[in-house]
Amino acid sequence: MTNQRTKARPDWGLLLGIGFTFVTLGVTVSVLVLERVGSESKTVVAAIVVNSATSQLAYLAVRDVGGGILAALAAGWIVASRFGLLAAGLSSRLEVGRWHRALIGLQSFDPNVGVAIQQRDPRDVVRVFWMVTAAMHIGWVSGTFVGVFLGNVIGDSQRFGLDAVFPALLLAVIGNLLRQRPGMVAALVGGVLCAALIPIAPAGLPIIISVFGAVVALKVRPAGASQ
Amino acid sequence: MSWTLIFVLAGGVALQRLVGMFAGGAVLARVPVFARLAALIPAAVVAAVIVQLTFASGKSLQVDPRLAGMVVAGVLVWKKAPIVLVILSAAVVTALLRLIGG
Repeated sequence: MTNQRTKARPDWGLLLGIGFTFVTLGVTVSVLVLERVGSESKTVVAAIVVNSATSQLAYLAVRDVGGGILAALAAGWIVASRFGLLAAGLSSRLEVGRWHRALIGLQSFDPNVGVAIQQRDPRDVVRVFWMVTAAMHIGWVSGTFVGVFLGNVIGDSQRFGLDAVFPALLLAVIGNLLRQRPGMVAALVGGVLCAALIPIAPAGLPIIISVFGAVVALKVRPAGASQ
Repeated sequence: MSWTLIFVLAGGVALQRLVGMFAGGAVLARVPVFARLAALIPAAVVAAVIVQLTFASGKSLQVDPRLAGMVVAGVLVWKKAPIVLVILSAAVVTALLRLIGG
């Protein structure tokens, strides 16, 4: 048998890092959500069914400043639109049935799509996607429980620099993409656009518009590409 | 936040993910240049999320200890350090600078 393929092996360091990051994220977000909704059960259920820290925080941020329910829902939905973009980006790499595709769509998040899309074999795309998703969920749910039931003991999580953990993880996730010229240009343009728009655009919109970074990067040839 | 609102928020988030997967993905797959675009979208979007998490404070931009944490993380990612070292270093540097800064 010469055409046997080697399955992508679990990168335990990566999975551990992602799991740890999502524990810290779960703790941080659940403390903030619990303060505002005042119910442990709602905090845990919201973490699991909304499945988006930024959507929950955007909803609560609008309510905090006196915004109406519709405005708060809109903010929560807008910041989640990046997941739709990420799912669209991953879609063409999937060779799975409709229901499996739907499940992957529902779990599309920055780290799992970012890691999965870098796999060459379509079967590895799916395999790695679910490995990273499992690490994320184990961390997210356990972190949520820790935040809900031990949040008072932990206190202000920013004291421990935990707000730097998630962006650092994301940087590591796209590290390989940044080593290629088109990926670097997409990230730079997307990042600069986002920074320029944060002060003037509604929450979530700067991230949607950052997609133009990918459009600009289409013009860039990968290093070593033939003319 | 009522139970109904939790599920309405969740429904809107889930719908966008499904629309992206089925409708957005179908459009991207139809044209070759869109397939290249799809491969670059995560880099652009994730970089924007990183910028937001590093510099945003509400609707303003600010430079604070998070940036130092991210610079250290960036160097370690460039050097291909283990991911656990990357995220722990970012947290420790950010926390230490906050401690020093009071």
